[in-house]
Amino acid sequence: MTADFAIETCGLEKIYRSRWRGREIKAVSNLSLRVPAGVKYGLLGANGAGKTTFVKMLLTAVHPTSGSAALFGRDARIAEARRPVGYLPENHRFPTYLTGYGMLDFYAALSGVESRERKKRVPEFLDLVGLKDWGDVRIKKYSKGMLQRLGLAQALLHRPRLLILDEPTDGVDPAGRREIREVLDSLTAKGVTVFINSHLLSEVESFCEYVAILRSGQLAVEGKISNLLTGRGYRVTAADVPEQALVEIRRLGASTLPGTEGVTIQVRTREEANAIIDRIRAAGGEIESVAASTSSLEDLFMQTTRPERAA
Amino acid sequence: MKLFVALIADTFQEARARWLFWGLFALSTLLILIFLFVLQVDVAAGAISFLGVQATSRRIFSIQKFVNVSYSWVSIALYVWGTFLAVFASSGLIPSVLEAGRIALLLSKPLGRTTLLLGRYVGNLAVVSINHTYLVLTVWIILGFKTDIWSPRFLLAIPVSIFLFAVLLCVVVLVGVVSESAALSVMAPVGLSLISLLLAQHQFVIRLLSSEWSRQLWMFFYWILPKVFDLGNAMRQTILFDRSAAWLMPVATSAAFGVVVLVSALHIFQKRDF
Repeated sequence: MTADFAIETCGLEKIYRSRWRGREIKAVSNLSLRVPAGVKYGLLGANGAGKTTFVKMLLTAVHPTSGSAALFGRDARIAEARRPVGYLPENHRFPTYLTGYGMLDFYAALSGVESRERKKRVPEFLDLVGLKDWGDVRIKKYSKGMLQRLGLAQALLHRPRLLILDEPTDGVDPAGRREIREVLDSLTAKGVTVFINSHLLSEVESFCEYVAILRSGQLAVEGKISNLLTGRGYRVTAADVPEQALVEIRRLGASTLPGTEGVTIQVRTREEANAIIDRIRAAGGEIESVAASTSSLEDLFMQTTRPERAA
Repeated sequence: MKLFVALIADTFQEARARWLFWGLFALSTLLILIFLFVLQVDVAAGAISFLGVQATSRRIFSIQKFVNVSYSWVSIALYVWGTFLAVFASSGLIPSVLEAGRIALLLSKPLGRTTLLLGRYVGNLAVVSINHTYLVLTVWIILGFKTDIWSPRFLLAIPVSIFLFAVLLCVVVLVGVVSESAALSVMAPVGLSLISLLLAQHQFVIRLLSSEWSRQLWMFFYWILPKVFDLGNAMRQTILFDRSAAWLMPVATSAAFGVVVLVSALHIFQKRDF
């Protein structure tokens, strides 16, 4: 475990056991992950893939059944290890009896920010997230988007080195999303590690440098997004393609994705596209469409999580 | 320490915002007003008769005795009223902090779970202590001005009521941590107090019990549960007669009960996933 990695987990596992029936659910299984310090990292997975459990294990809200987790080289179970961490949970419930100012002040105090410093920083961060005029208003009057922005300010106020954000733009309008992205960009320019757990694939693709995809609690794909995406290519959609032909097509290196109107086949080059079209026709299949495409994170996500979704 | 203070301050803010602080204050003020009214209605004979002090031609009425009897009854009323009111008011303060989405954020901060729960416990205790002190002190001042007798023994009701509440709050915390239910957090300590009152009649009851094991079982529960009756009785004896009462046993066993329950709550809280 070294401080070069903002997050480092080794064989992390969480098994939930029902109290009376003794049934076991493996939420996270043997998960080893390294997030280099200073990068923008996205964590993806279908619902129930174990993303939130993984994040909660990092922050000790959930105890791992086995394995270990470290934040900047320090055991995550030590309270001090969490000092450089800013966190925005997905379904946050901020105390509604507090005002925006009071809420930021309270959480900043818990993060160890001195009183004098809080007086200076709280208005500054309210301004940063566009809530300058809302500081004295009780949180229960805030809209969902405003709560999200306030939550982001809460996560940033103690100037963390690692920011863990669970669906950070959930409920925020497009303009607000752009503002949040700009804030996060400015942070990464200062060397802050941003770890995003999100369902918005386009957002993760445009913002993050690294990505990990979880499938049934296990790490299915991990790496630099630029290396994982195949780049430009062609997308062939065909109907009535026999299974044997699809096996041969996959052997040629193409990826196939079944859909309601047939199968979509992704290939890298025009030559490959022509060869596959010939093979489909020879097997009695019907070509529905051929289009130039760029392999997206969505494609990667769909391919990776397909067995899970099918199950 | 600063984190601990922040948690206590937050409990105060929550108690204030949920009207618990002001509710307790208002009900205490209501009790004080009722007390003032009772004193005003019939100070000379009615109150004396009401409080059970007989003034006859053969027995010289002592104002000092009247005040002592008043103090002892009022202290018991405050002890019971104040404690149950405080338990009702505190029931929601632990489950509210354990709400999903709130607890996860709190646990992500650089503070231990023990600090978090103890901060909440102490904050809650502080809210109630302020109210108890206000209630007892005001009644003491009213009685003092009314009779010109200032008996500091009456002020014993403050630490005794706070002590009992501190013990029952441990039960509120344990039930809150296990069940996250505000209703159950009230039912458990109130039920326990009623059982404790019943168990305290052991000298009478064990004579009625036929088997040895049932007598031992009765005494076992009497010893392990908090001594709500014994504490109140010791306080009344001290205030009324100014003589040393049997404090050690009820204080020690109730404190031991509270410590065991609170440590259990902390242990469960440490192990729980949120």
